[in-house]
Amino acid sequence: MSNSSGQATAFMALTPIRPGEEKSLRAFLEGLPQAGSPLARLAGTHFARWVILEDWVNDPSQGRQDRLETDYLIFTSNFDGPLDPYLDELCVKLAAEAREIWGRCIGCPPEATGPQLKAYLLHNKIDTGFFVAAYPHATVPQVKAALAAREQLIAFAVRTQGMGPDDLSQAFRNEF
Amino acid sequence: MSEPAAPSGPITATGTAPANVDGQAIAITVFSTVKPLGRLWLPLVFWFATTFPKSSGTLARLSFIHFARWSLVRKIPFNGPPQRQEKLNYPHLFFESNFNGGWEEYIDAFSHILTRGMKFFWGTSYGFPQPLPTGPFKAYIKRNEIVASHFYGAYPEATTTMVLSALELAPKLDAFKARTRNLSPDAFAEQWRAFLADVEDCL
Repeated sequence: MSNSSGQATAFMALTPIRPGEEKSLRAFLEGLPQAGSPLARLAGTHFARWVILEDWVNDPSQGRQDRLETDYLIFTSNFDGPLDPYLDELCVKLAAEAREIWGRCIGCPPEATGPQLKAYLLHNKIDTGFFVAAYPHATVPQVKAALAAREQLIAFAVRTQGMGPDDLSQAFRNEF
Repeated sequence: MSEPAAPSGPITATGTAPANVDGQAIAITVFSTVKPLGRLWLPLVFWFATTFPKSSGTLARLSFIHFARWSLVRKIPFNGPPQRQEKLNYPHLFFESNFNGGWEEYIDAFSHILTRGMKFFWGTSYGFPQPLPTGPFKAYIKRNEIVASHFYGAYPEATTTMVLSALELAPKLDAFKARTRNLSPDAFAEQWRAFLADVEDCL
């Protein structure tokens, strides 16, 4: 079991969708905007997704077939720091959407928020076996700041090509 | 429940469904049914890869993967009625990756570079062809892939290489700022040229 890599954590919850709610849940999730995704409210989220699992994929070589009794909602997130504070934040900042998402799942508390939602997600947690991160020690704010600085430096280098020492030195100090 | 279909709908230039794409970032989500032997084998593979990270160094060298994970689902959490207790004949292997580039190139790189590792991870999955040639393997992944209903990336326009370059550059830029603060314009210009040469690979 390895739910972390450096300071990054992997979380996965597998929750059963209430019969009859599959289509509306899928429509709600597919209607969420990517630019302005509710997941952007969780500042430590690098990447996250919701996926609906309708059934297992069986292979003809299997002796027996595995079939799911109901559809399941998978939520996975790759985020900064430990799980507890992340879920605390999620269960508050995603409360509005959580009612539309996990509120359509069996066993979800009616309010779909706060400690009850956190307990529900933890109950349905699936541990990660192996987790790999390309930059396991960098948080989302660090990544964003580094990317912004890189862009700024590239633009500056292009803009100041051919500039004399006096202007270059002054321009750098003004910008950085 | 019916057999889930392979990813349907329009395929983007990245080779995957639009819902799996956020800017440069692509989501892949795959389940495979695991043979009984995998119940013992895969936890060993996970333990080994986690305990001896250099063993998975090739994976880290695939410069287009932000985050990836494998999980072995042996039982489904039960929440009470109306959920029916799921009885699994086999464990199921979950794989997700957050990467950039094209779907085809991603699977190609996995097959060619991680040939042995792929056998370790998927060798106990039913229907798994050998990683090479890539055609049957791509068909296998397509058959087992689930399209995301919502996929989010915090910095969707950045590739993994851009992130790694930026993280390498940041402390060098800070150090450059500190050491050139009081230099004359001529000395600064000289240092600036040296700095650009030093960080060229990060830009």
